[in-house]
Amino acid sequence: MYPILLLPALILLFGVFGIPIVRYIWLSFHTSSVLTDLLPIPNNGANWIRLFSDSRFWQDAIQTFRFAISSVILEILIAISIAILLNQTFKNRGIVRTITLLPWALPTTIMALSWRWIFNTPYGPIEQILTLFHLNSINILSSPKIAWFATVIADVWKTTPFIALIILAGLQTIPEDLYEAFKLEGGNEFSAFQKITLPLLQPYIFLGLLFRFAQAFGVFDLIQIMTGGGPASTTESLSLYAYLNALRYLDFGYSSTIIIATFILMIIFSLFTWILIRQTKSLLSIR
Amino acid sequence: MNNRKIVKGIKYSNFKYLLLTLILVIFNILGIKAQSKKAVEINFLMPAPFAESTKDLVKEFNQDKNNKINIKVTKGPLETESVSDLAISSLLLGDNSFDVILIDITWLPKYAAAGWLVSLDQFIEKGEWESLAPGARLGNSYENKIYRWPFVADMGLLYWRSDLMPEPPKTPEELIDISLKLKQAGKVKYGYVWQGRQYEGLICVFLEVLNAFGGGWINDSNEITLSNKKSIQAANWLKRLISSGVSPKSVTNFSETEALQAFKEGNAALMRNWPYAWAELQKESSAVKGKVSIANMIAKNNQVPVSTLGSWGFSVLQGSKNKSEAYRAIKYLTSTNSQKRLFLNNGYTPTRIDLFKDKELISNSPILAMLGKALSSAKPRPETPYYAQISNILQTQISAILTDNKPIDEAMKLAEIKTRQIISSSGQK
Amino acid sequence: MRKQNNLICLLVLWSLLPFCWQIYTSFSTPESILNPFTYQENRWTLQNYIQILSANPPFWRYLYNSLLVGLTSTAITILIATPAAYSLSKAKQHLSNTLKLLLLAAALFPYVLLFLSLLEIARAIGIANNLFALSIPYSALSMPLAVLLLNSAFSDLPNELEEAAIVEGLGLFQRIRWILIPLIAPAIASTSIIVFLFSWNEYPIALTWISDSKLITLTVAIARIAGSSVYSVPYGAYAAATVLGAIPLILIVLLFQKQIVSGLTQGAIKG
Repeated sequence: MYPILLLPALILLFGVFGIPIVRYIWLSFHTSSVLTDLLPIPNNGANWIRLFSDSRFWQDAIQTFRFAISSVILEILIAISIAILLNQTFKNRGIVRTITLLPWALPTTIMALSWRWIFNTPYGPIEQILTLFHLNSINILSSPKIAWFATVIADVWKTTPFIALIILAGLQTIPEDLYEAFKLEGGNEFSAFQKITLPLLQPYIFLGLLFRFAQAFGVFDLIQIMTGGGPASTTESLSLYAYLNALRYLDFGYSSTIIIATFILMIIFSLFTWILIRQTKSLLSIR
Repeated sequence: MNNRKIVKGIKYSNFKYLLLTLILVIFNILGIKAQSKKAVEINFLMPAPFAESTKDLVKEFNQDKNNKINIKVTKGPLETESVSDLAISSLLLGDNSFDVILIDITWLPKYAAAGWLVSLDQFIEKGEWESLAPGARLGNSYENKIYRWPFVADMGLLYWRSDLMPEPPKTPEELIDISLKLKQAGKVKYGYVWQGRQYEGLICVFLEVLNAFGGGWINDSNEITLSNKKSIQAANWLKRLISSGVSPKSVTNFSETEALQAFKEGNAALMRNWPYAWAELQKESSAVKGKVSIANMIAKNNQVPVSTLGSWGFSVLQGSKNKSEAYRAIKYLTSTNSQKRLFLNNGYTPTRIDLFKDKELISNSPILAMLGKALSSAKPRPETPYYAQISNILQTQISAILTDNKPIDEAMKLAEIKTRQIISSSGQK
Repeated sequence: MRKQNNLICLLVLWSLLPFCWQIYTSFSTPESILNPFTYQENRWTLQNYIQILSANPPFWRYLYNSLLVGLTSTAITILIATPAAYSLSKAKQHLSNTLKLLLLAAALFPYVLLFLSLLEIARAIGIANNLFALSIPYSALSMPLAVLLLNSAFSDLPNELEEAAIVEGLGLFQRIRWILIPLIAPAIASTSIIVFLFSWNEYPIALTWISDSKLITLTVAIARIAGSSVYSVPYGAYAAATVLGAIPLILIVLLFQKQIVSGLTQGAIKG
């Protein structure tokens, strides 16, 4: 091993991940806002006390979980279907695969703007179609009950191709003879899917799940551009709240507190999922 | 061996990429160093619409070599909040690229408290401040120091269709009556359109309604009165606009532009908007050209109508190296002549008192007198560095009342408690 | 068979429809944007594109900025990640697993949350408003994934190859340069494209690090498009900008589809 070769990478990683995290932890125990001329002054954990009684933080935390979990679950389901479809042979498979990949390659800003326009009331296509058929307007982005789901749809549209590809790669590692042997024993397609495909795909699905959950939990651009957090703050994510505290409210101490708290929540949740996955895995292997 | 070929191929393509990068690098370095030294350059950051409308004025100023100042305008984003984000990240980065920024009235206390702005008191000559209309003098100071020179006065106005009603509604009840009648008669699709999306515009609307009912947000002695009876009545009325069909449901997704669009197409009988809308409504593309008038905001019989004061103004930044030149440039853009032209071409309400009596302007514009009247009854929003937070609290609750059927007294109570938390935590370090 | 075809059509529609709507909007006049489904004379226009392309600074400037940041970050990432990945592949099992786990954790990290501190760092060392400086955080953020991808490529190489080279008397750098890099070139190519795409699409850090309107990258510029008419929402201009901004990416996907797919899946299969 040649540690010297690793050094530049480690230094860079420390600078961009290590220093900020330490700095955040430090700042979360300080007041640094317009009150203090933006200079950090120790405040004996006042930020943390405030965080626990800050209903907006907890509401955002719930919203962030809701967003992350629903979009990841939907993505996995759709991605499995897409992967199975793309794994079959048909004409122009290469072109179809390229087209499927496009949403993933587009910048979030571009696609968020596109979706904001699609969901626009009253000029977006969905509303226009409703008026065409003389149906009531549903005000997608201004109804607290559905606006968040609109952001989920946009997220699913963008990131499903990524998981689909990972799962497709997994599918291609499954040898054909396994299915043939299964058919010889008289199994149908569905049970083949259940007994062979799913268990063998498991590691890929979990990998996709892990990556996507982490990304979805930090969702920022999509929400900022599509809804800005509204209506009634129902789509506001934790990272958007941290951003608002820093750049709009100039409260850097509290912004850091939110950021660290978000890390902690994410780690707790990841550990929880990890344990859950291991439990289900061991259950499956017993069977 | 085949490997050699691969190696060669890679070597070549690597070289190509390297060259490309190198060229890009050189271009970039050369691009940075090219500045003229002759005139002092004053860089203004303005939201896109203002950058557009001041283009000619700036051009003329720069052509006059006697000025020895070159105004450069950086066109900011369209949305007000994004302009603030841009300005703040630039200030936090400490890159001193702007000398002057055009700021909204609500940002001033925050920027001043952060120590980013230069007090203009040192530049203002005797009598200069008094040349401003009294309404325009509000909202430019923080802790008794002037930090901003007002450029455009802005206040909420009630636009009404003079072809559909003999006179505008004066009270909240009249507004509902007239709207419903016109709607039932099939004259218009919507009665009253306003700004109902969750953003600052909603607060401006709500404050006017609050005042109409005699309620309040924060009074002079820092008491929060959002959950008193009158304030709840005000919120209730706003909600009734939607539930009774006076305003469309989609009004909760309207900002100024959507409201104007609906009104301009002739779909609404009444609209709450800022003075700029007048000029837009007089354009050829407007379906209601010549059928519109403006009026003061509505108010209960025992209340004085109040408009929310909007106003944009110029502030000099601490990082500027040429502060007095910056002030001179500001004075040029806000001079009688400049404001006259901006009023005639863009409908920007002047801030100088003499312009409201200007014969040429009065003969040119039927609404100038009305604007002057509305400006004198305009009221600024709470002046605190925490304005963004408390505004967000109120926005969220009002938005929840309008879109989520949240019980009004509960929402207002919550808004009051949260506002108090912010204000009281501001006392401690 | 028919069912399959239907499903494929559905998939293609789902992937393309939102984008097609943008193209449609981008060529529409303001009036037809407001009434997209009613017949109108003269409903098509190039005005939106003209407006975007004639803005100041011109649109291609943002493309150039993004290209510049993308290329430098990719170059830095590959230059640093390749030796690191090699070194990792030679490390002892235990150590390499720990390091890989750390890298995975960093790759999973919601990097958006770093913006505040990165902004402070940019201020402290005075590198704000510099496109080259922007590629430092970009390289660092894509480093974990790049090292992991390249590491799996190195691990695939047979050990004998290198041993033979040692016998021939080649030093470390000669071995890396002349033997190993050519062999993992495909992995480098696909990693580069993924890193490039990341830098091209990144938004929050570009949003806070760059305040000079001549230096903003494409993603930030698009979010900031302003209309021609002062107070109307520039839907047409937005659409035109999204279409223009998407063209380079569509080209990249078309040209490098194979590399992207193998890059994304490589990690999955071996990781």
